[in-house]
Amino acid sequence: MEKNSNLIYYEGCGRKRRTEVGPKSEDCMNPDSAVIAAFKVFQQELDTKHDKYERLVKISRDVTIESKRTIFLLHRVTSVPDVEEILNEADVKLDSVRQKIGQIAEELRGEDLHQFHRAFTPGIQEYVEAVSFHHFIRHRTLVSLEEINARLVFMRENKGVGEVTCPGPCVLTFQITPTDYLLGVADLTGELMRMCISSVGNGDMDTPFQLGGFLREIHDGFSYIGNTGPYEVSKKLHTLRQSLGKVEDACYTLRVRGSEIPKHMLADVFSSRAAHLDPDDAMA
Amino acid sequence: MSKREDEGCGRKRRTEVGPKSEDCMNPDSAVIAAFKVFQQELDTKHDKYERLVKISRDVTIESKRTIFLLHRVTSVPDVEEILNEADVKLDSVRQKIGQIAEELRGEDLHQFHRAFTPGIQEYVEAVSFHHFIRHRTLVSLEEINARLVFMRENKGVGEVTCPGPCVLTFQITPTDYLLGVADLTGELMRMCISSVGNGDMDTPFQLGGFLREIHDGFSYIGNTGPYEVSKKLHTLRQSLGKVEDACYTLRVRGSEIPKHMLADVFSSRAAHLDPDDAMA
Repeated sequence: MEKNSNLIYYEGCGRKRRTEVGPKSEDCMNPDSAVIAAFKVFQQELDTKHDKYERLVKISRDVTIESKRTIFLLHRVTSVPDVEEILNEADVKLDSVRQKIGQIAEELRGEDLHQFHRAFTPGIQEYVEAVSFHHFIRHRTLVSLEEINARLVFMRENKGVGEVTCPGPCVLTFQITPTDYLLGVADLTGELMRMCISSVGNGDMDTPFQLGGFLREIHDGFSYIGNTGPYEVSKKLHTLRQSLGKVEDACYTLRVRGSEIPKHMLADVFSSRAAHLDPDDAMA
Repeated sequence: MSKREDEGCGRKRRTEVGPKSEDCMNPDSAVIAAFKVFQQELDTKHDKYERLVKISRDVTIESKRTIFLLHRVTSVPDVEEILNEADVKLDSVRQKIGQIAEELRGEDLHQFHRAFTPGIQEYVEAVSFHHFIRHRTLVSLEEINARLVFMRENKGVGEVTCPGPCVLTFQITPTDYLLGVADLTGELMRMCISSVGNGDMDTPFQLGGFLREIHDGFSYIGNTGPYEVSKKLHTLRQSLGKVEDACYTLRVRGSEIPKHMLADVFSSRAAHLDPDDAMA
């Protein structure tokens, strides 16, 4: 809604200044003056820019929704025996997301990326989260920004203007900014925490410890950045600490108390322990 | 984000349900099949919600552009031309609302209400502004709904088909109407200030009386209505205050100031004390 009110303020000022400019002693404006003509040009420019921004917001919403559905699909790997099938299904979904990102790249061709960055940044962060989750499940490592950008290369028919046309199809790339990559990785940690808890509930005793070490390394990396990065990074660092805490609690429960509890009751232990004091501690 | 929790819970419960002593689920159990049905339902619902949000954004943008167009009536001599241009734009907005009505056919309106309510409020604002400029009265909810009737080819299912085209209506809820009228008052305040800047001495007083009546109406509702109404009542009081300040300046100080300097007076008076008052 804030975007809309910026839109109204911008356009309102553009049009209202046009009505207030002009000699105040006359009751009507001279429609042929150079100033009015200049404002008409401004009006066209602003309308085109806002329409492009709106199209980018719509594409970005589609990217977000499809990436979120991919992440939900990937969460199922903890409970089905056939991991490869789910990974391949997720690959198909991620390819359709890449097609949408190709549309974003098409809209941004020849434009200043930073004027429209806020339109598509939520979608790109969700995409980074989905791709890195997929990569982690397959390879147990963190995908790098270069690897992500290497997949975002599109072949397009050239629609050049004037003489600046290259013959035949040309290559369009979409570069994800380091900030979006960082914020996507921070969201990834939340998903990894969720995967850890559900894998414990399914009786997997190794994944939590792997994840704990991995999350600790990501946390250390973010602590290096600390307060020097964009402000969203500081907020996500706080959430990251909480996620790391939950994973470490899970590892503690498994290691220290794990021998006492049969596998099929582990899920109950995890759902109840966060809420109240352990009665054994109270009695000791 | 509740959308995400909904789907996440739906899918994750599916993985946690099932005998905990086995390592894999039985894919043919009745519970899994039931959850697959839930998955389809939820996905359809969320996709429809998303389509409605997109249409509503288009309605909002087109309505706002209509309102900006209508603000120009204070400074051009040909009011009819602008009103006709605005009519054309509002017709295209009505086409979009027809699409919303099409999506909502056979659905529970209240499940999707939050998707399209911003667009509908902007439309009410634009239509009532247009009606006020032409007739100097407030358009009623019945009049607005009477324009929102669409002819559609019938796509009925099974035996419940009526032969030939059928009529599709979109009913704006009283809440959306109220909130749209509250937004209208902000636009009227803006029109008042710009008309003073253009030398018009009658419109501010008309608008002042009109806004006072709307304000009294909203005060009758007070705290008994939806909570957004209370917030808009606060903004309405401020708008009414600005219009009344404008009328005061015109009436009490208007004889002293030549017409072409009125705009300067209005832009500066709000910010600091009048030096005459300080010296008196």
